[in-house]
Amino acid sequence: MKNIVSIILGTMKIQMKNSLIRPMYRFCLFVNPISNTILLYYMFRNSQMSDFMTYVIVGAGLSSLWECICFSSIGDINRERWYGTLPIIFCAPAGFNLIILGKIIGNTVLSLASLGLSALTAMILFRANIQIANVLGLIIALLLAVCTFVVISQVFAYLLTLSRKTTLYMNCLSIPIALVCGFVIPVELLPKWILPLSYSLPMTWVVKLIRGSFDKYFTVKENLLCVMISLFEILVFTIVFRLLYRIIERQIKIKASLELM
Amino acid sequence: MMDRIKRFFEQCWLYYKGNNAHLSLEDLIFYRISIPLLTLIYYCFIAKNSFRTEQLTQWVIGNSLLLCNNSCVFTIGASFEGERSYGRLKWLIASPYSRIATVIQKGLFYIFESIATVIMSITFGSLLFGVDFSNVNIALFILILIVGILAAICFGLFISVFSLLFDSINLILNLVHVLMLILCGANFPIKDLPQAAKFISYCLPFKRSIKAANMLFDDVSKSHLLSLLGQEMCVGIAYLTISVILFKIIEKVAIRKATLEIF
Repeated sequence: MKNIVSIILGTMKIQMKNSLIRPMYRFCLFVNPISNTILLYYMFRNSQMSDFMTYVIVGAGLSSLWECICFSSIGDINRERWYGTLPIIFCAPAGFNLIILGKIIGNTVLSLASLGLSALTAMILFRANIQIANVLGLIIALLLAVCTFVVISQVFAYLLTLSRKTTLYMNCLSIPIALVCGFVIPVELLPKWILPLSYSLPMTWVVKLIRGSFDKYFTVKENLLCVMISLFEILVFTIVFRLLYRIIERQIKIKASLELM
Repeated sequence: MMDRIKRFFEQCWLYYKGNNAHLSLEDLIFYRISIPLLTLIYYCFIAKNSFRTEQLTQWVIGNSLLLCNNSCVFTIGASFEGERSYGRLKWLIASPYSRIATVIQKGLFYIFESIATVIMSITFGSLLFGVDFSNVNIALFILILIVGILAAICFGLFISVFSLLFDSINLILNLVHVLMLILCGANFPIKDLPQAAKFISYCLPFKRSIKAANMLFDDVSKSHLLSLLGQEMCVGIAYLTISVILFKIIEKVAIRKATLEIF
């Protein structure tokens, strides 16, 4: 167990350093939350919604966080392929899955800074008065957010190893997920036929939880419902990811095509 | 003379073809159709919720025009960076070919691509969000479109020159895109912005084209519309002039210091 923790922590540390060196990641982490906050503030300021600042901060922060994940975690396996380090990681005694998990957790934890940066931008530029109605709820929501984004990133990262067009799909994932999961607007405003897809993704419930922790009328019952559904969906996606990994690993061993998938 | 004109168009086509040769049908569908349309839907849905309106005409028009950034700013902005990685930059500088022609030929075919993008986005946006074109002067709308795209292409050329100075042109291009998203008036009225931001907004392309295009759906003041178009053309010409001058200055510095491909 101690060994597993040390592998994950070590990989997280290296990954955070590697990510911060890349200018595009720095752009997603530092510039995107600020610009998204400014854009959403000017779009929402005349909305006559009493809690419009919550939409601005949560929307800008989560969209930026998702972009960081899209352009980093999801493309990580492909990046290792281009560095020429993928076979080494795959054969390392530490275990391929554990190393990738450490990289994704590192990225996700670092990317959470975009939520803080969004809140900071709103407070400095627009003098936003942020009031957290349920601090414990927010902590649970953020922990669930990390778990959700880690699991989803793993699924997409492994899926994208099957294609050489990672950059294309990374670009394609960014906006649809932000829209379908209701990062900026409530999913209930989307067409009804999209709702089954929205509700089948754990991010949708985590977003509801995060937003709910700023809302004093968000009941314990609603809170529990969101937590239970998101936990269930995280579990389902974890099972999907495990199955996916087995299939991909088997294919790699049969075809010896780790760098050609 | 005819031979020179022919060579100019051949170079324009070769450059455009070279930039797109690596794209498969799947890439083309995703990059040129899916991503622009999803971006349009995304901002229209945000506007629908934030402005509490079903009338999304101005967001469909504004964001459709801004979608040209992909070809006008991103592709053209990265053109000299591309030349550097292809190893063609030193030949461009060493050749006796006109610098203005070198700069202009990079953008010519992107005018058509941008027009196609805007028409596709507006058609799609109109069907999805019910934009009514029945009272709109289509000829005037196309004129506004062309002027806006020309100004944006000149702006893209201006940005592209900076890739001779910096190695992080993608970062600069993304910054410019974000600025245009906020400051061009596609998503909220520019009058809401602070004075300093308004000044930057005046220096950007599309700001006036978006305003002029939106005017067509409302009361059209012909003199105001022509003034907006004139200003947009001036912005384009200013960027083209500055990019040619900058290109010449940087070229001289690079030749003198032998640092064309070194930062």
